[in-house]
Amino acid sequence: MFGLHYRLETKAMGLVLAIIGVSSIGGLVEIAPLFTIHQTVEEAPGMRLYTPLEIAGRNIYMREGCYACHSQMIRTLRDEVERYGPYSLAVESKYDHPMLWGSKRTGPDLARIGGKYSDEWHVRHLNNPRDVVPESIMPAYDFLSRTELRKDDLGEHLAALRKVGVPYTDEMIANASSDAYGQAAPDTPYAEGVVKRYGAATNVASFDGKSGELTEMDALVAYLQIVGRLTDAAYKPVASAE
Amino acid sequence: MGVSERDPYTGHQTTGHEWNGIKELNTPVPRPVYFFLIVTASFGFVYWLLMPSWPLGTTYFKGLLGSDQRAVVQQSLQEAKLERAQWTDRIARESIAQVQTDPRLMQVVRETGPSLFGDNCAACHGRDARGNRGFPDLTADSWLWGGTPEAIAETIRVGINSTHPDSRTSQMPAFGRDGVLARKDIDNVVAYVRTLSDLPTADASPEAIAAGKSVFAANCAACHGEDGKGNTEMGSRNLTNRSFLYGSDTSSLVTTVFNGRQGHMPTWEHRLSALDRKILTLYLLDLRAARR
Amino acid sequence: MIGQLTRNERQGALLILIALAILGLAMAAVGRDDPLGGQGALVMVAALAGLFGVISRYYAPEPGPDRVSRYYDEPSKVGIIIAMGWVVFGLFIGDWVAWLLVDPNLTFHAAWSSFGRIRPVHTTSVIFGFGGNALIATSFYVMQRTSRARLPDQLSPLFVLFGYNLFCVLAVAGYMMGITQSKEYAEPEWYADIWLVVVWITYFVIYLRTLARRKEKHIYVANWYYLAFILVVAVLHIVNNLAVPVSFGHARSYSLFSGVQDAMTEWWYGHNAVAFFLTSGFLGMLYYYLPKVAGRPIFSYRMSIINFWGITFFYMWAGSHHLHYTALPQWVQTLGMTFSLMLLVPSWASAGNALLTLNGAWHKVRDDATLRFMMVAAVFYGLATFEGSFMAIRPVNSLSHYTDWTIGHVHAGALGWVAMITFGSIYASVPWLWKRDGMFSPRLVEVHFWLAVAGTVIYVMAMWNSGIVQGLMWRTYNDSGTLAYSFVDSVVAMHPYYIARAIGGLMFLLGSLVGCYNIWLTIRTAPQVAGRTASEFPDAAPIGAPVLQPGE
Ligand code: HEC
Ligand code: HEC
Ligand code: HEC
Ligand code: HEM
Ligand code: HEM
Ligand SMILES: [Ca+2]
Ligand SMILES: [Ca+2]
Ligand SMILES: [Cu+2]
Repeated sequence: MFGLHYRLETKAMGLVLAIIGVSSIGGLVEIAPLFTIHQTVEEAPGMRLYTPLEIAGRNIYMREGCYACHSQMIRTLRDEVERYGPYSLAVESKYDHPMLWGSKRTGPDLARIGGKYSDEWHVRHLNNPRDVVPESIMPAYDFLSRTELRKDDLGEHLAALRKVGVPYTDEMIANASSDAYGQAAPDTPYAEGVVKRYGAATNVASFDGKSGELTEMDALVAYLQIVGRLTDAAYKPVASAE
Repeated sequence: MGVSERDPYTGHQTTGHEWNGIKELNTPVPRPVYFFLIVTASFGFVYWLLMPSWPLGTTYFKGLLGSDQRAVVQQSLQEAKLERAQWTDRIARESIAQVQTDPRLMQVVRETGPSLFGDNCAACHGRDARGNRGFPDLTADSWLWGGTPEAIAETIRVGINSTHPDSRTSQMPAFGRDGVLARKDIDNVVAYVRTLSDLPTADASPEAIAAGKSVFAANCAACHGEDGKGNTEMGSRNLTNRSFLYGSDTSSLVTTVFNGRQGHMPTWEHRLSALDRKILTLYLLDLRAARR
Repeated sequence: MIGQLTRNERQGALLILIALAILGLAMAAVGRDDPLGGQGALVMVAALAGLFGVISRYYAPEPGPDRVSRYYDEPSKVGIIIAMGWVVFGLFIGDWVAWLLVDPNLTFHAAWSSFGRIRPVHTTSVIFGFGGNALIATSFYVMQRTSRARLPDQLSPLFVLFGYNLFCVLAVAGYMMGITQSKEYAEPEWYADIWLVVVWITYFVIYLRTLARRKEKHIYVANWYYLAFILVVAVLHIVNNLAVPVSFGHARSYSLFSGVQDAMTEWWYGHNAVAFFLTSGFLGMLYYYLPKVAGRPIFSYRMSIINFWGITFFYMWAGSHHLHYTALPQWVQTLGMTFSLMLLVPSWASAGNALLTLNGAWHKVRDDATLRFMMVAAVFYGLATFEGSFMAIRPVNSLSHYTDWTIGHVHAGALGWVAMITFGSIYASVPWLWKRDGMFSPRLVEVHFWLAVAGTVIYVMAMWNSGIVQGLMWRTYNDSGTLAYSFVDSVVAMHPYYIARAIGGLMFLLGSLVGCYNIWLTIRTAPQVAGRTASEFPDAAPIGAPVLQPGE
C-alpha cells in the first residue's frame, strides 16, 4: 500500500483523479438515492402552494436571516413534539427552495407558528419584540412596516420557482402582483382572485392593519401565518416509511 | 525508496526526501491507529446491520432491529402519556371544583401550568399572566367574558374573533372613523367614561361631562350597560374599574372610541388537547386565587 | 505589485479589469431596480480602482529576466496583509454579534446591522476572508518551495487573490444589503457563485502548472492537502449552489433542490466546507510551517498517508450528522453517524503526527510563541474533532443540536485550530517573506498568544455551559411528566454566558490587533539579512539548481 502511494505521489494528475474518486463516493451514495427512494418524501394530496405574498414574505424571512435563530424542523423527539407539535415531515418543505430547516435555536422553532398567534401580535412583535415579550433578545424589525413591498416582479419569482419544480400555473404567474395586493386587502375585488387561484383556505387579511398599502410587514406576517400549514399531513398519524 | 538517514533523536529512518529542508521519518504507523480504525469500523458494521442503513436503488436496508425514528418517538409519546395517566385521567374526569380541592392534583397544575402557559400564552398575556397593553390581565377580577371556569375554558377553546367557527366575537364600533359621532361628542363621552372609574377629569367642564353622559346612554349603553359595568355576554369591557386594556389616558380612550377595538385571541382547540386546556383553566383560576 | 508584472501582463491586467468594469456596469444597469444594481456598482468601482492602480504604474520598469531565479512572493505578502485585515473585521463583527445577544438594542435601529444580517458577515469574513486569504497566500508560498518551481506567471496568482477578495466583498456587502441565498456558508448569490468558480478554476490551474514544473519528484504532503482543498471545495461549491435566478436583473435565485434533498446537499456541503476548507487546507499549512519552525522531520510519512486518505474518504459521508432526527430518512443519519466515528481516527492521528513531530523541539515550543501557536492549534484540532465525533452520535446530538454547544464546538475548531495555526504560520512567514531577522517584537507575539488562548478558553467554556444548560432545559421534565421550562426561560438563563462569551471574544480580537501592529512594525523595520544562512530564508534556495535527491 505504501509502495503504491509512493508512486502515486509522484504524479500530479494521478493524485487529482484519486482525490476526486475517493471524495465523491460519500456524496453520491447519500444524496442520489434521495431522489430515487419513494418513501423519502411522503404523499400529501391537496398540498397548497405559497401565494405570491407568502413567497415575498419568505424572501424577507431569508433576507433578514431569521433562519439564523429559528429552526423550522421539529425533530422526532418527545420533548420537541410536546413543545412544538407534530414532528416535521419531508413533504412539508417539498416546495421550499431552499429549505429553511435551520441549525440553531436562539429563538423557538417556527415549524408550527402558522395560526398560533394573531396578525396584530406578529406586527407588534416584529416592530419591537420587547413590547410583547420583555425577555426577548430578538432584533426589532420596525422598518418593515415602513417599507413598501416590491410586487411588480413577483410573476418572475413564481416563474423561476416553476422552473425548479413548483407547479404554478400560467394564470398564477400572470396575476402574481395583483394577487399579492389582494391577499392583504380583504375588501377589494383582488381578494377574490387569490382565493380562486390558491384555495378557500388562503389567509386573506389586512395583515399589518393598514389596508391599501402593501408593506414588507404584510408579506412577512402572511408568510409566518402559513408556515406549517401548506398541508396537514403531519397531523394525521403517519404510517412512516411504508 | 531513496537513501535514508537515521534521525538521531528518535532513532527512526527518514524517507530520504527533503523539501526545502523538511524531512519525513518513515516511522511505522503506530498500532493504536489500526486498532481504532478496526474498532470504529466494526462498530459501524454492527450498527449498519441493526439499523436502517444502506440505500438499495428504490428502497433501503431496514436493519435487523426494524427500528424507525418515527415509530420510536410515537412510542415514547405513548409511554409518557401512560405514565401521566394516573393524574391526567382524574383531571380529565373530575369537575374543576373537585380538582381544586385536591392538593395533589393542584400540585400537578402548578407544575405543568407555567411551561404550558409560557410556551403558548405568555407571548401575549405575559409570563406572569398579568397582561400587556391590548392583552388582558388573566389574574385580575375583571373579565370580558366572565371569570367562571366554563367561560374561561370556552374562551381558550374557541378564541375571540378567531378563525374558529364558534369563535367568540366582539367588536367595539369605530364611532369616529365611521362617522357615527362627531369629534366633540367623542371628547365628551371620553370625559364621562373617565368619571366612571373616578379618573381625574380636570380639563373637562361639568357640561361636557353631562353631554358625554347622554352620548353614552344613546350609543354605548347597549353594550356597556347603563351603569358602564359591561356585558360579559358580548365581551364588552367593564368601564368602571380602571382595567382598561388599551390605556385609560384621554388620548388612548379617544383612539378607542374613534377607531373601535377588536382584540384577537387565537383558538387553541386544534393546537392544545382538551386536557391541556383544562390545566390552563385551572392554572389561571389558581393564579387569580393566589393574587386575591 | 504592478512593478513585478511584465508589460504583456500589465496589458492583460488592463483587459481583465476593463472587462470587469463593463460587467459591473451591465449589472448595475439591468439590476437598477434590485439590490443587484448596488452589487454591480461595487464590481465597477473595484475594477476602476484596479485600473487606476495598473495605469499609474504602467510605465514602471519591468522585472528583469533574473526574476525566474527567485520565487514569486508578491501574492503571498499581499494575501497575508489582506487576511489580517479580514480577521480584524470578522472578529469585530463576531464580537458585535455576540453583544447583540446580550443586548439586542445594539443594532442602533439600522436594518443592515441586525443579528440575522451580520451573523453571516461574521462567518464569511472569518472563514472565507481570513481563512481563504491565508490559505491562498500560504499555498502559493508552500507550493513553490516544496516544488522548487516558480509560479507559472505573475498575473494569474494576483487574479486569483483579488478575484477571490472581490467575491468576499460582494458576499459581505450583499448580506448587509439583504442579498442572501440563506444556505449556511454558501450565502452569496448566483452571480457571485459563478465568479468564484472562475477564480477557483484559475487557482487550480496555477496549482497544476506549478506542480507540473516541479523539480522534486515526490509531491510533499502539504500539497496533497492543498490540492484536496482546492478540488473538493470546487465540487462542493458547484453542486450546492445550483440555482435558477429570477432573471438576469435580479440578485435573487431559487435553489434547484428543495426540502429534504436540499437539506442533505446543503449539509454535505456545509460539513465538508469544515473538512476541506477549515481542515484540509490548514493541515497543508501545518505540514509545512510546523516542521519548518520546529526544525524536525515529520514524525511519520506512513501515518500522513493514512490520515490524508482517511480524511478525504470519511469526511464526505459525515454531513448527515447535521440532520439527526429530522425528516431526513434515518438510513442517511446512520451512515453519517458511523462514518463520523471512523473519522476520529485519522483526525487524531493527524493531531498526533503533528505533536510527535515536536519531539526533540519542545524547548522551542517553550521559548517561541510562534511554534506554541502551532502546538496549541494541533491540540485544539484534536479536541474539536473528538468533540465533533462525539456530537455526531445520535443521542448526544439530540441534546447538542440547535444549542450553543454547537457554537462552542465551532469556535473550539475555529479559534483554537484554524485561527491559531494561521497566526503561527503568519508569524513564521512574515520575517521570511520580508527578509527580517524575526518578528519586530517576540514579546508581542507572546502577548497575542496568551490573549488568544485565554479568549478561546473563555469562549468555549461559556458555550459548553450555555449549550448544555439550554439543551437540558428544553428537555427537562418535572415530576408530573410535563415540560419543566418554557422556551423563554432558557433565553433568560443564557444571559450570563452570552456576556462571558462576548468578553472572551473581545480578548481574542485584542490579540489579533496586537498581531497586526507587530506585523506592521516588522514590515516597516529595515531588512537585516546579513550573516544569515540560506536555509533560514526558505525562498533563498536557488530555483534552477537541482539539489540532487539521493537515489533518484
Ligand atoms: C437574535 C435572534 C433572533 C432573530 C434574528 C430573530 N428572532 Fe424571532 N425570536 C427570538 C427569540 C429569542 C424569541 C423568543 C422570545 C420572543 O418571543 O420574542 C423569538 C420569537 C419569535 C417568534 C415567536 C415564536 C413563538 O412561538 O413564541 C416569532 C414568530 C419570531 N421570533 C419570528 C422571527 C422572524 C420572522 C424573524 C426575522 C425577521 C426573527 N424572528 C428573527 C430570536 C430571534
Ligand atoms: C395572539 C395573542 C394571544 C395569545 C397567544 C393568547 N391570548 Fe388570550 N387573549 C388575547 C386577547 C387579545 C384577548 C382579549 C380579546 C379581546 O380584547 O376581546 C384574550 C383574552 C383571553 C381570555 C379572556 C379574558 C377575559 O377577560 O374574558 C382568556 C381566558 C385568555 N385569553 C386565555 C388565554 C390562554 C390560556 C392562552 C394560551 C393557551 C391565551 N389566552 C393565548 C390574546 C391572546
Ligand atoms: C357593539 C357593542 C359596543 C358598543 C356600542 C360600544 N362598545 Fe365599547 N367595547 C365593546 C367591546 C366588545 C369592547 C372590548 C373590545 C376588546 O377588548 O377587544 C369595548 C371596549 C371599550 C373600551 C376599551 C376598554 C379597554 O379595555 O381599554 C372603551 C373605552 C369603550 N369600549 C368605550 C365605549 C364607548 C365610550 C362607547 C360609546 C360611544 C362604546 N364603547 C360603545 C363593545 C361596544
Ligand atoms: C472574536 C472572536 C469571535 C466571536 C466573538 C465570535 C462570535 C460568534 C457569534 C456570536 C456567533 C453566532 C452564534 C449564534 O448564532 O448563537 C458566531 C458564529 C460563528 N462563528 Fe464566530 N466568533 C469569533 C471568531 C470566529 C472565528 C475566528 C471563526 C472562524 C475561523 C468563527 C466562525 C464562526 C462560525 C462558522 C459560526 C457559525 C456557527 C454555526 O452556525 O453553527 N468565529 N460567532
Ligand atoms: C472529526 C471531525 C469533526 C466532526 C465529526 C464534527 C462533527 C460536528 C457535529 C456533529 C456538529 C453539530 C451539527 C449539529 O448538531 O448541528 C458540527 C458542527 C460544526 N462543526 Fe464540526 N466536527 C468535526 C470537526 C470540526 C472542525 C475541525 C471544525 C473547524 C472549525 C468544525 C466546525 C464545525 C462547524 C462550523 C459546525 C457548525 C455547523 C452549523 O452551522 O450548524 N468541526 N460538527
Ligand atoms: Ca449553523
Ligand atoms: Ca451561494
Ligand atoms: Cu459536520
